[in-house]
Amino acid sequence: MKLRFYLNNVEVEYEIQPDEYLAQVLRRNGVLSIRIGCDESACGSCTVLVDDKPVLSCGLLAAKVEGKHVTTVEGIQEEANRLADYFGDEGADQCSFCSVGFALIVHALRKEYKNPTDEQIKDYIVGNICRCTGYQSQFKAIKAYLKEAK
Amino acid sequence: MSKKFKVVNNKTHSVDGHAEMMGRAVYTQDYEAPGSLVLKMLRSPHPFARIKNIDTSKAESLNGVKCVLTYKNVPHVAFSRAGQGAPQPSPIDKFILDEYVRFVGDEVAVVAAINEKIAEDALKLIQVEYEVLEPVLDYKTAYKNKSVIHPESGISQAFEMGFRPKDNVAASYEMEVGNVEKELEKCDVVIEHTAETQAQAHAMLEPHCSNARLDEHNRLVIYTSTQTPFHIRRIMAQTLGMPLSQIRIVKPRVGGGFGGKQQFHCEMFVALVTLRTGLPSKMVYTREEVFASSYTRHPMCITMKIGADKDGTIKAIDCHALSDTGAYGEHALTVFMIVGSKVLPLYNKVNAVRFGGRVLYTNHVPAGAYRGYGAIQGNYVLESAIDILAEKLHMDPVELRKKNSMKEKETSPIFEIMGEGTKGTAMIMESCKLPYCIERGAELIDWKNKYPRKEVGPHKVRSVGCAIAMQGSGIPFSDMGSCAITLQDGGFYMVRCGATDIGQGSDTLISQIVAEELMTTVDKIVIYSSDTDLAPFDVGAYASSTTYISGNAAWKTAIKMRERLISEAATMLGVKENTVEFDGKKFVSGEKEISLFDLSNKLIYSAPQHQVAVTESYIGHVSPPPFMAAYAEVEVDTETGEYEVIEYVSVVDCGTTINPMLAKGQVEGGIVQGFGMASKEAVLYNKNGQMLSNSFLYYHVPTTKDIHKLTTEFADSYEPTGPFGAKSVGEIGIDTPPAVICNAIYNAVGVRINSLPITPEKILKAMKEKENR
Amino acid sequence: MSLRAKEYYRASSLEDAYNKLKENPKNVIVGGGLWLKKTGLEYHTIIDLSNLGLDQIKEDKDFIYVGSMVSLRDFENSPIINKLFNGVIAFGVREVMGPAFRNIATIGGSVYGRFPFSDVIAALLPLDVKVKLYPNQEMSLNDLVNYRGKLDGIIEQIIIRKEEGKAFFKKVKTTALDFPMINFSIVNRSGKNYIAIGSRPGVAALAYKAMEEADKGNYEKAAEIASQELQFLDSSNISKEYRIDLTKVYVLRGLKEVNE
Repeated sequence: MKLRFYLNNVEVEYEIQPDEYLAQVLRRNGVLSIRIGCDESACGSCTVLVDDKPVLSCGLLAAKVEGKHVTTVEGIQEEANRLADYFGDEGADQCSFCSVGFALIVHALRKEYKNPTDEQIKDYIVGNICRCTGYQSQFKAIKAYLKEAK
Repeated sequence: MSKKFKVVNNKTHSVDGHAEMMGRAVYTQDYEAPGSLVLKMLRSPHPFARIKNIDTSKAESLNGVKCVLTYKNVPHVAFSRAGQGAPQPSPIDKFILDEYVRFVGDEVAVVAAINEKIAEDALKLIQVEYEVLEPVLDYKTAYKNKSVIHPESGISQAFEMGFRPKDNVAASYEMEVGNVEKELEKCDVVIEHTAETQAQAHAMLEPHCSNARLDEHNRLVIYTSTQTPFHIRRIMAQTLGMPLSQIRIVKPRVGGGFGGKQQFHCEMFVALVTLRTGLPSKMVYTREEVFASSYTRHPMCITMKIGADKDGTIKAIDCHALSDTGAYGEHALTVFMIVGSKVLPLYNKVNAVRFGGRVLYTNHVPAGAYRGYGAIQGNYVLESAIDILAEKLHMDPVELRKKNSMKEKETSPIFEIMGEGTKGTAMIMESCKLPYCIERGAELIDWKNKYPRKEVGPHKVRSVGCAIAMQGSGIPFSDMGSCAITLQDGGFYMVRCGATDIGQGSDTLISQIVAEELMTTVDKIVIYSSDTDLAPFDVGAYASSTTYISGNAAWKTAIKMRERLISEAATMLGVKENTVEFDGKKFVSGEKEISLFDLSNKLIYSAPQHQVAVTESYIGHVSPPPFMAAYAEVEVDTETGEYEVIEYVSVVDCGTTINPMLAKGQVEGGIVQGFGMASKEAVLYNKNGQMLSNSFLYYHVPTTKDIHKLTTEFADSYEPTGPFGAKSVGEIGIDTPPAVICNAIYNAVGVRINSLPITPEKILKAMKEKENR
Repeated sequence: MSLRAKEYYRASSLEDAYNKLKENPKNVIVGGGLWLKKTGLEYHTIIDLSNLGLDQIKEDKDFIYVGSMVSLRDFENSPIINKLFNGVIAFGVREVMGPAFRNIATIGGSVYGRFPFSDVIAALLPLDVKVKLYPNQEMSLNDLVNYRGKLDGIIEQIIIRKEEGKAFFKKVKTTALDFPMINFSIVNRSGKNYIAIGSRPGVAALAYKAMEEADKGNYEKAAEIASQELQFLDSSNISKEYRIDLTKVYVLRGLKEVNE
């Protein structure tokens, strides 16, 4: 079946199967920034935005984004680059397989909350697993980024 | 004591962090060749069985299926998937595919098809008739069990390691210094403590994956998410009977390893399919396969007997351990030996010490290398036992540790006796700031005021616990790393190294080391690792070897490069070498000078027109241990046993921190992974040997909300044999949490949990039992 | 094995969806699609309700109407839901995974699934909640939860009665991303106590006898009774005994809190 949607504000049309999930469809079409960590909607690595809301692209049927706006990290390069600076400052980037997911969830968090509390930040990023850093450095980096990127 | 540096020991961003966050195609799966065949594995539903018949004809005739592999059509050559050096220190007990399957999830057949769905459909068409055998699902009953897990012929050991497959023994080891029995008899106080550690999953975020193709020379090129590209090439060539020259292993960015990617996973299968079909192929483990069909940490049962005098002088330690290596013996011996060799020397003033036991085969998922590598198991039991001893001696556990632990310029006889499966190497602790770490950690956690406990609510208690730990820095006379630096026109340096960046940041710190020595900045360094065609040899990322071994190799190479540059400049300027001063940018000799930029261009384009390139290697002669002291404050709900770790304090002596932020990241990442093992993570099986915890939904790695406060500091320390004074820092962080949390819980509610993970349920149960006594 | 389906159908009305569903026993309604993937089953047609305007939360004087396609995230963020029992119901739903998961998962899917580990069902069960199924059925959430077998209709909306009172929600878990080992949802509404306990490991259930005792003000006894009247069993990560111990503690704490 045909699927039409906006990928980073550009209208695209992909041939998909009715039982495919968004993560696979995007990767097959060359969006290699999608990192599939678990493919069971449990790790957060494959996060994308659909109509500005963060979703797990491995858990969303591709057909569901018909007509919608999908944002991947390619659509927020500048923000990702800046967030990477903050991660670098805190040494919060190790294997970085989770980093793209963090870039997108933090982007959404910034849009949704003006002055998030520590608890709101943690509630927002809790679905993004990192096995390398121990989280504290990431949390500090995200907090500093949110403060300055307001 | 520490020296002033310009690049190392300074804050430097990781060299790859930006590209990774911006989503560039950098991981193994991003390099799949277009049109790759998709590999799927048929896995055993039985914990132990022999394949009586396997019929793949229906699968093979399915449209889109290109190749089906079974034990019948692949080379029958035993090898070890462990990914270690030569001679192989793990039993050589695995076939590419075998007629026996030894755990639920073991490999039965591989299908290669044009897409995933066809491959999955083909798996369903393979008909297998099994002769189901009696499994061994408890390692305590494995020894000389009537069920023999490896009855086959053709398996072996490269040297004597106690490998007795007929008894289900993968390896065994015994050693003794002095006479432990006699020493214990003389002691005023003797305590004995037994505790068990569980299997832990690595749970790195990038699943195991490899892809293969044939290149323009008809050579086999494999991209793979590995910690050991050179070992993979060597072992693959031996097993497939190919010349090494026909194989190229490329390691792109790796999404986490923690030891799990030291071993083979998909490599042999994509190789065989591509060699057989001529087509590119790829294999990516599902998350279920990552959990249930790769490797875990070795579960162990360890007993420590410690004897001391009334004044708190520890006189003797007796340690006996049993280890469960699962279906295959990857790292069976070497992990086991670390339980002794990187744990017991902490208390080096004993008159006698003994260590020994067995590593047993069972029908569980095989155990393998995992950060901590035996040290975390040993540390949990030893450091719990030290607290038990302290209580018996009516001593503060911090004081007992201070009195008896390793200090600078001291040694332990264990270093000489125990090595990587073989004899070890004697060494003196040239750097050991453990006393400072203990002192400083106690200050940071406010031990004086918080030990042992405080009531903070109607059913809330807060308490503190502590432990100390050590690790190593590579394997002496075994781990070798190399580095090649070329000066490029334009005056920058190309660094190629075999050091395997798996996310720990070795590309960054090796760039820093080279930049420091060549008095330049990291942006003048282009680093490439690791690719068996393009990089010089390195054993890979394991055994806490990267900073120390590969870092020393890079340092040595950079020193040589500086000497070569001065010599080239002297020739160019027509002066004597010893008159040339180099500041990283220009060469000056009296009135004469030339910039590095001009020199580099002249060397290439005018005279003498040659490439300045140097290669050096480093082999460790000692393995200087990093040390640490750790403290935690916990808050326990006395009605439910639930607890939170309010703060975790780590004070670490890893010598100079080449990159302080990355070093902190290694420690904190290790602490949280160790906290997961101490508190939450457990590989669970049902009674049929099937893994239940085969998903992130059922295997609980810590999340950001489970971590409250991590306080991490480094001692001012300088290791004279390390690059710019550095020791390793990759593993040390993981070792302490089980003991620290166990001790803190004991201090809070008076019960000691002798099996991991320390769950609220176990705590409450123990509290009730104590009340009823 | 990956999910298989031959067709994807975007229904134009509930009637259209219902007819499509009846066409083939292998047709299936998709909520968010998260669980559908985990089933790994073979379906004929996946029926999507996204275009039917079922993603709205509305209210009148007495009731709140939650469309079945409302995501868990929209539910927990809704000002209407946050006014309910000081936001405790929203809090219960917020305990499910991360926001990127809850943006996909739907209220309808969570209720339809009757999952034993459901925090959504546990949070809602002590309230007066009706489930409206197309074409012509309405049943209480409690009846639906206890309904054995395949539901005939399509969940259209859930209807929550507005009441005054206090609520308590506790999910016992290993990590913040865990299924509950057991969960407790305790509500005092219009002066009466309601106690729901889920993941025992059975699906959430009301502890009626304990509720009666609680209404008499005997909270300790109520907690004891709750630990006896419901069925508690062993799971791989928690024993029956510990579930019972936790029930005694958290039912008491919950009752005290909602009756303060």
